[in-house]
Amino acid sequence: MELFPGGHLSRRQFLAGTGAAAAGLSLIPSSTWSYEAAKLNFYNWDTYIGETTLKDFTEVSGINVKMDLFSENDELFAKLKAGNPGYDLIVPSSDYVERMILADMLMPLDNSAIPNRSNIQDSFLDVSFDPGRKFSLPYMWGTMGVGYRKSKMDSIPDSWKWLFDSDRHKGKCALLSEASDVLGAVFKYMGYSVNTKDPKIIKDAEKLLINQKPNIKVFAPDNGQDLLLSGEVDITMEWNGDILQAMEEDPDISYVVPKEGSIVWEDALAIPRGAPHPRNAHRFINFLLEAEAGAKIAEFIQYATPNMAAKQLMPANYINNPAIYPSEQTLSSCESAVYLGADVVRLYEEAWSRVLAA
Amino acid sequence: MKSARNHKLAFWLTFCPPTLWMLIFLLVPILIIGIFSFSAKQGLVDISASWVLDNYIRAFDPVYLSVFFKSIGIAALTTLICFLIGFPVAIGIASAPKSWKPVLLMIVVLPFWVNLLIRTYALIAVFRTRGFFNFSLEWVANLFGIPFEPLTLLYNDAAVILGLVYIHLPFMILPLYAGFEGFNKSLLEAASDLGAQQFKIITAIVLPIMAPSIISGCILVFIPALGSFLTPELLGGPSSQMIANVIERQFLAANDWPFGSALSMMLIYLTFGALALRYFWLRRRYFSSTENKP
Amino acid sequence: MILCCTIVFLYAPIIVLVIFSFNDSRRNVTWHGFTFKYYEKAIHNNNLIEAFLNSLSIAFFNTVFSLILGTLTALLLWRFRFSYKSVYEGIILVPIIIPEICIGIALLVFFNLCGWPNDLPWPLNLSKITCAHILFSFPFVAVIIRARLAKFNLDQEEAALDLGANHKQIFKNVLFPHLKPALIVSSLLAFTLSLDDFVITFFMSGPETTTVPIKIYSMVRFSVTPEVNAASTILLLITIVLAAIAIWIQRGWAKEVEKS
Repeated sequence: MELFPGGHLSRRQFLAGTGAAAAGLSLIPSSTWSYEAAKLNFYNWDTYIGETTLKDFTEVSGINVKMDLFSENDELFAKLKAGNPGYDLIVPSSDYVERMILADMLMPLDNSAIPNRSNIQDSFLDVSFDPGRKFSLPYMWGTMGVGYRKSKMDSIPDSWKWLFDSDRHKGKCALLSEASDVLGAVFKYMGYSVNTKDPKIIKDAEKLLINQKPNIKVFAPDNGQDLLLSGEVDITMEWNGDILQAMEEDPDISYVVPKEGSIVWEDALAIPRGAPHPRNAHRFINFLLEAEAGAKIAEFIQYATPNMAAKQLMPANYINNPAIYPSEQTLSSCESAVYLGADVVRLYEEAWSRVLAA
Repeated sequence: MKSARNHKLAFWLTFCPPTLWMLIFLLVPILIIGIFSFSAKQGLVDISASWVLDNYIRAFDPVYLSVFFKSIGIAALTTLICFLIGFPVAIGIASAPKSWKPVLLMIVVLPFWVNLLIRTYALIAVFRTRGFFNFSLEWVANLFGIPFEPLTLLYNDAAVILGLVYIHLPFMILPLYAGFEGFNKSLLEAASDLGAQQFKIITAIVLPIMAPSIISGCILVFIPALGSFLTPELLGGPSSQMIANVIERQFLAANDWPFGSALSMMLIYLTFGALALRYFWLRRRYFSSTENKP
Repeated sequence: MILCCTIVFLYAPIIVLVIFSFNDSRRNVTWHGFTFKYYEKAIHNNNLIEAFLNSLSIAFFNTVFSLILGTLTALLLWRFRFSYKSVYEGIILVPIIIPEICIGIALLVFFNLCGWPNDLPWPLNLSKITCAHILFSFPFVAVIIRARLAKFNLDQEEAALDLGANHKQIFKNVLFPHLKPALIVSSLLAFTLSLDDFVITFFMSGPETTTVPIKIYSMVRFSVTPEVNAASTILLLITIVLAAIAIWIQRGWAKEVEKS
């Protein structure tokens, strides 16, 4: 097998070693798929499923689900980039769904096997990162915003200013640690779109952050809510679900989406190419989109569900919780993060390296 | 030392297995990384071996060079502290009664069988602002009626070094112990009989004999410390990134495998450079010492 | 004295870990009450048990093969002169130098290019991970054993040769006892390295081949529940028991050797 025919190390060569046959299967309509063992390899985030969901599915279908965990989109991408080690169903976030579609890493979904698709809220059925939802279906969504300790604030900190441009909470604030997340929020604070490509604006954002650095305690990779709980910081930039979990433990903690706007995220279910049990994966997706299963999941993990049928079964305090379902006004100021292309990603990463080195 | 040519069978028996392993599992992957470092990205997953120097030119940007130097500094400091702690501990274990030795070794090694991430989170629980260390200090301060401000021990470079020392201590203690074991104590007695003081005994006798173990301990701490990224990420402050964090971001978030490969190859070149320097320095010493012979 | 302080320093976080495994709080940051329920959860977590068995098997095979390869390498470098020896010495250190993420991805690409099969039965499905672990463990072993060999008194070997011993006997009765502390130390190190490795193992692992660090890493990034602490404490207890058994056997063996 030539490594560089014509100077290109293409994905096809990578796939050749790992179940290219299975990849070929994905092009055949599901009704003619060959027999699959009653197994499913599910690759998901931690605590991102209902307490009994997997058991319920096994009872209904007889398929044994094995759930493995990953903790970052880019880890998932890097691992699958060189070939699928055997996962049937993955849960990437929206901008990574986009990357995977561009890189031809996902199997198109067979809608005839997913009748519960009709349960999904209309606004989720046609999105920029997956037009017509050919490759993915929404699982959960939410916002990014500010988690804070009520007793230590002068008033509700509903602006990014307190994190990016003020020394009011010097040494007691934390930001996220991914370049795209932090820069996206800074762009919003400066009045631009989350998905800014202009190098000059990126440079200005970099200067703003370097200026603010002496006031920042730490760039927290996913554990801002723990820092808030332990009193290490009083205000942090975090995803709404994380802060919600902290709010359960400590009523003094609260969450708000800044008025300048923020990032709205969505995690989606997708089937990677080379999946050994695609038909089982379709059945599982259909199960997750049922009203009851969806409601149980939403109840346990307390994120916003795009499943209208499930939402109707949820109690009022869930539906009316602004930390889970932001108001229309808030939503209108939020944007989804999209994949901006390799050049812009490189600009973001270099700016971030400079911020960290300053 | 024997020449390979004269003892062919024995030589090849010892040479083949490790070399074969390395050829397959090390050199081929390194070759891949090397080729990546001269390549360019094509779209999201493809990489074309276009033999460009762009990645290396980028690697010489002052931002990345400063991170390199900082990482070397932190790793060196970690090695020094590990040595200062590990040396007495290794002597202690080696001097213990025979039946105690395996037990003591176990006691030293056991914490390291707890997962690294969990140990680091436990370290955080001990040393954070409202952690047990500060609680104890506060309790002591209250006993004496001294006003107490909790110490900010975490989220700065010192915390990173603390964490790195904590993790790499057995890599210093174990090789030093292996060297101490069977140390000829009569040498020490002879030296003190001849009137040498403690300090002189240590520098003139113990250290030279222990030199190979000390060097191996230092290598086994310095090199992994240089390449660590979880510790700086979890314990460090806003400015505490090390070179492995930068490389990790290139392979993951930035999806720029060629550049990440170039940075990694720089680390390899650096180490080979250091080894080459050592080789030439030793050769010069050898030649200069033979010149002095009559 | 320093030994005691060091031990306190090493164990303080571990003790905190064990105490917090009884904490009745989902996020495990502040103390909320005493409970055993996370131990129950950990024991019934089948994925965790499977990961634990995988980790132990990998660590065991890793230790055995690393010892063999590392000792051979050390003997080679100590005993023989050959061309490009210094280059060889440098290459031995390369697995330790390169950042783990780099080796991880390089091996990922490599294994996929070779078409290494993914659905072998246990324990062969752990072969990818084990090969990777051996790769970065045996240089550690080589370095430690080489340092020990440097202290070997060659006169002993000459004396044995003069007394009529052949090379095999010399190896068994002269060299091997001298190397014993280094061998024990290296096996401890190789075992530790394998048990705790995360980055390289992450890229090598698949659905059936999770190890404890990977499982814990993904659990911990989201929620440092006491279940993780409970699992670690159980793991620690099991390894203490295994180690105690090993020491006991070794002591019995040593006593027998002394008697004979």
